Amino acid sequence: MNDSSSMSVPVWEVRDLTKRFPGVVANDCVNVVFNRGEIHGLLGENGCGKSTLIKSLMGVHRPDGGEILNNGIPLIIKDPMHARKVGISTVFQEFSLVPTLSVAENIHLGQLPGTALKIDWTSMMERAEKTLCKLNIKIDPERIAGSLSVANQQLVEIAKAITRNATMLILDEPTTALGLEEIEELHRILGGLRDQGTAILYVSHRLDEVVQLVDCVTVLKDGRVISSAGDTLVEIDAIVSAMIGEIAEHYPKKPAVRENVALELRDVFTANKVNGVSFDLRQGEVLGLGGVLGSGRTEIARAIFGVDPLLSGEILINGRPVSIGSPRDAVESGLALVPENRKSEGIFFNFHGLPNISIASLGKLGHSAAMNLAREKNLGRDLIERMSITPAAEKLLAGLLSGGNQQKIVIARWLFAGAGIYILDEPTQGIDVGAKIAVYNLINELAASGNSILLISSDHDELLAMSDRIAIVSRGRIADIRPSAECGKTDLVRASARDMAPA
Amino acid sequence: MNSIARSPILAPLAALLLVAAIAAFTTPRFLDAGNLSNLALQVSIISIVAIGSTFVILTGGIDLSPGSAIALMTMVFAVSIKFWGLPLPVAIAMTIVLGGFLGALLGLTSAYLRIPAFISTLAALSAFRGVAFMFNNGSPVFSVHPSLEYIFYGKLGGLPLPLFYLVALYGIAWYTLKYTAFGRSVYAVGGNPAAAKLSGLNVKRTQFFAFVIAGATAGIATILMAARLNSGSPNYGVGLELSAIAAAVIGGASLAGGRGNIINTFIGALTIVIVQNGLNLNAVPTSIQTVVIGAIIVLAVGIDMWRNELGAIMKRVFKIFRSSKN
Repeated sequence: MNDSSSMSVPVWEVRDLTKRFPGVVANDCVNVVFNRGEIHGLLGENGCGKSTLIKSLMGVHRPDGGEILNNGIPLIIKDPMHARKVGISTVFQEFSLVPTLSVAENIHLGQLPGTALKIDWTSMMERAEKTLCKLNIKIDPERIAGSLSVANQQLVEIAKAITRNATMLILDEPTTALGLEEIEELHRILGGLRDQGTAILYVSHRLDEVVQLVDCVTVLKDGRVISSAGDTLVEIDAIVSAMIGEIAEHYPKKPAVRENVALELRDVFTANKVNGVSFDLRQGEVLGLGGVLGSGRTEIARAIFGVDPLLSGEILINGRPVSIGSPRDAVESGLALVPENRKSEGIFFNFHGLPNISIASLGKLGHSAAMNLAREKNLGRDLIERMSITPAAEKLLAGLLSGGNQQKIVIARWLFAGAGIYILDEPTQGIDVGAKIAVYNLINELAASGNSILLISSDHDELLAMSDRIAIVSRGRIADIRPSAECGKTDLVRASARDMAPA
Repeated sequence: MNSIARSPILAPLAALLLVAAIAAFTTPRFLDAGNLSNLALQVSIISIVAIGSTFVILTGGIDLSPGSAIALMTMVFAVSIKFWGLPLPVAIAMTIVLGGFLGALLGLTSAYLRIPAFISTLAALSAFRGVAFMFNNGSPVFSVHPSLEYIFYGKLGGLPLPLFYLVALYGIAWYTLKYTAFGRSVYAVGGNPAAAKLSGLNVKRTQFFAFVIAGATAGIATILMAARLNSGSPNYGVGLELSAIAAAVIGGASLAGGRGNIINTFIGALTIVIVQNGLNLNAVPTSIQTVVIGAIIVLAVGIDMWRNELGAIMKRVFKIFRSSKN
């Protein structure tokens, strides 16, 4: 931050780093400087080379050209163990904690104090407590890791990462699973670490939180640094335009609300957090569900989609009461669910693009004992083209596609099925800006043709911009519902705060 | 199946050709017409059982019961003809239905009662054989029916009849997996059960019917097993489940579910039978044969796991080869 530290030799530096994979140059002469006490945002669309750069720093990839310097001295990072030894620690999106062990054990995993025959429990607890204290994290080191909330597990991950005297901490999408308050807590802790002199490399798709947190930003595009730390303004519009190359309208909302009510919930209760939810959703309307993680947003979606059975209450579709006992019934009633967790609940990794698209409506391919695969190909290709999914999707396993393409495929599945009511649960989580805008355009298109959308999102800007109305969910019920024009970001934040307060 | 992940056919095929070449090289009798037709008979039972095992494996399950189920069913089949006086065609139909019923029991316990398939079918492996011993005081039943052997040893146009059963059953299985909504669900459920459920598929029913199919194919294999020695015995089919699972795995099916291919399973079954046949012809004792089969299973899974490393090694070898030529 201050001039004296940035003038001195940077603690870590990447110089002319190049890494090639068959057919692509993933990193092309990349130069980045990481200073002590600085949070450095690394941004770019999926496939821009962020992960490759991180993996080179972690010792997963061996660069084809260029060098990595530690305090000005070139260093070859042999493998992830070596990276940790020289001071580079990484916190992943997927946690690496052992859920059945205590927090202290997890923090010291791989370097437990004591001898090979006997663990020194006292010293381990003391050291864990010291580390947590240094981070200002209030977690009992004796707690079992699996019993902690996701957010607290994330904090333990960080404690684990810095116990090895890390001089650089890499965080890759650390906030995807966190609620607003939890993100603030994370930012506070990262700020503390920065003040203690750690260099932090921060990767996230959530631009709003990035600009709040970081000191400087490097933007990558097609494997090259397109805007380096000194040049990038830490401001959303500047970053977006650098990332996608042109200034596009970030939220291209087009209202299309019609008269008829497509979906109505009347006093719905489930055993899973839904406590008397009522609302209606019109044709062509986008209704945003706001509220913190755990407020019951996802659970409302599960109730509508027949995953959690209703204890009481009623669901009406186009004015008629329906009984939805399973996702199968929901699909038959014209409902669509794009689940929050694309990887575990959305994509079939053993399928190429086409069967991933057709799976929710195999009946469309003719008789169930004689599916017309040519029809699958034609209809699927149309959707791939219409939604500008990469044409490679047809020939590649879904796991080889980018997150944005995967998400579009899950949405295309419901277009294929001809659904009328779309429940989109965090539809833009972890996908790049270009794909996000494609999803927004698609939401507009769906609404324009009379479909209804229930949008769940933790990205407040997105939720406010894309919804016609906002329903604030708190403790499993709708606390407030109003046009999004009359709803400010502060309302959402305040609702979150209310939810966080003790009951 | 273009659009679904499948194990590449080349690796299993190469393995098959390799073992066939070794067998032919080590013993000239391997290529005798008599031995080849014997091979067709030997592969028929394993490969029919392997169809069912593949369906179950594709849904992400496992079936350890068919060996014991077959022992039980040969006893019921033999007793029903010899002592109850059931006509042969009726007994055949009943056995296949019985197979489907036993499969349904396993489907019920693992899909609906949520007992892991590994446990429920391991229990069945033990229990079914126990039930087999309850018939005829636990003694084998011989000379079941005068025309029973024809089913196994009969020929049509000079080709053994079991070959025709194989072609028909594999044809049906292939068609089912490729062209029916059920077949697609089998892959989907094995690939990602949570996503399958949220896509409106009936996950439990799909798993259930995979077991019913496994039971029915075991029932069909039972008829051939009984016809081979015109008998029923509670000792039949020991280790058959392992051969069937090995056939699927050697054919590249993933035990995690969702990946595999029925034609490859047949190649896997043929590979195992040729190995056994080659070892037999070379007078290798049975004890060693079982060890060899075990090693082959580990190797087959290993080749799948080490695919990347092996590819890199092959590339390097190729590079050295090329540079030495220049």
